[in-house]
Amino acid sequence: MAKYSSPSYWLLRFYVPRGETLWFYLALVSAISLLGQELARCSALASPDPTHFEGFGEEDALESDSEEFEDGPIEILIPPPTVTQSNFETHHGPPEPSSPEPKPKPSSSSFEYWDEDEFEGLPIDPSPRTENPTENSSSPPEITQQSPSPKTLPSRSFHVEIICVSFLISFIINYFTGKRENENIALAWASCFATKDTIFDKNFSLLGTGDGKDTPLLLKEGQNIFKFYASGRRYCQGLLATMELQSRHDLLSRIYNFVVPCKDEITFEVYMNDENMDHVLFAMARKKLAKVIHKEVRDLQRYAGLLSVPMNRKWVSEELAVMSESREVASDLITEAVLDQVFGEKAFEKFGKGFISFHFSDQHAGSHRKMLVFKFSLPNANNMADMTRLVALVPYYIDLVGRYKLSSQARSKTEAARAKAAQEIYKELQNVRQEAIQRKKAERRKLMEEAEAKLSAEALRKKEEKERARQLKKTMPKVKMTRAH
Amino acid sequence: MSHSGGADPRMPSASKPYASSPISATDLPADYSGFFAIAFGIVGLMLRYKLCSWLAIICCAQSLANMRNVENDLKQVVMAMTVQFWMCIDCLDCKF
Repeated sequence: MAKYSSPSYWLLRFYVPRGETLWFYLALVSAISLLGQELARCSALASPDPTHFEGFGEEDALESDSEEFEDGPIEILIPPPTVTQSNFETHHGPPEPSSPEPKPKPSSSSFEYWDEDEFEGLPIDPSPRTENPTENSSSPPEITQQSPSPKTLPSRSFHVEIICVSFLISFIINYFTGKRENENIALAWASCFATKDTIFDKNFSLLGTGDGKDTPLLLKEGQNIFKFYASGRRYCQGLLATMELQSRHDLLSRIYNFVVPCKDEITFEVYMNDENMDHVLFAMARKKLAKVIHKEVRDLQRYAGLLSVPMNRKWVSEELAVMSESREVASDLITEAVLDQVFGEKAFEKFGKGFISFHFSDQHAGSHRKMLVFKFSLPNANNMADMTRLVALVPYYIDLVGRYKLSSQARSKTEAARAKAAQEIYKELQNVRQEAIQRKKAERRKLMEEAEAKLSAEALRKKEEKERARQLKKTMPKVKMTRAH
Repeated sequence: MSHSGGADPRMPSASKPYASSPISATDLPADYSGFFAIAFGIVGLMLRYKLCSWLAIICCAQSLANMRNVENDLKQVVMAMTVQFWMCIDCLDCKF
């Protein structure tokens, strides 16, 4: 009953004339294909933009019978004008390969060229429509990139970004942890040796870099460099301890230090008073380092030599080498106490691990001539007390060198050597001064010559005429004239 | 060990306040990481290599971390950072 009661059924069956079924089928198929195209385009774009349907309408305005499309895609079902769509896209852009849908010829060709309209309203790429697409080199690759996979995000890999951002994050984290570690080491050292009732407090009256009592003990110059200053002691003007720690705050340096190990070092520089230090030139270090120091440091190179181990007395451990100007000075500086406590064979194994080098000199190259330089390596923050004996060497040697007087023999030798060196320096200075004077003279001469050459030809002629006139006057007889009344 | 004869070695009258030795700009150790930061930045910008730009940013971070006098060189730091930033930001979304 339902079948026969529906009026549309009968209408369709009997009122559509047979001769026009072709048109009817054409219209139906084109409508369906259009719908399908629209649906496909909507799913391709993230956000279907109504403006690009207007683009459809705008293009159709160029042709006749295009009013229907301005209303929107839904009104496409009106049969005859669909055929005219075929022309509106032919003059735009590169043709795409034919779509797989089976369509009658004129309308099917129109739907092959769909890239132009696709990009018209796109927020991502607003200007794909160019007369010559080859001019814009980025658009063809973008078109090819977007047509197969319309979403851009998944096709791009972010490996580089992920690796680099994670490296930067770990760098920042390491900066703060490394900074704190270095500060802990420095503070541990200061609390062990520079606070109240410690060795430096008992030896120096002024501790720290400021004036008053509240100033901090340590001066931080970089994330891995800390300085400690002390002053107010006999024989010396002051002491500056510089801690150079590993660059724990810098991730790249830390990685490098895994491969090439590096130690935390502390360097004590004691500025001796002029009247309290005699001609002492002494250095001690481990054997390899001693050779390097001997070549590099100027005053050691000039005055000192590597000393061999003496037969008649106890000496430092075999791992160490001694350089000095005279054997007597070296023997006097390496006392029994020092050998027993730190540098003897047995003691060195236990307590000498942190020792790097000594350098006592009254001919230092630098701002201060008379200096004692001690270099040790720092232990862990927890084991700071291990270097107590090494640090105790500092005030011991200040007193020893401050009181030390050379014997007359040794002094004569050292004085001779220094006088020679002073003469050489003086000669060098003289040479330099003479060269400067000669250069100045040569420059003056050049200037004069240039000035003469600059004179114009006329001036030269005038000069020459003057000269000739003068010469003539000289040769002519001198006539004396008197006044006649 | 080795106490100095019992007398107090301190002499408050002889104490001198700390005078930091002024370091000229030429004496400072060379800032290789800063140089590489700029070099990588320029290379990355001209050849449009993303990796070079990221390396430039990493080198810039390292040179900042190793800087000694933050207060004195603040202007330099800010300038260097902005230059790095603008050199790299242009390149970070280019093709790798």
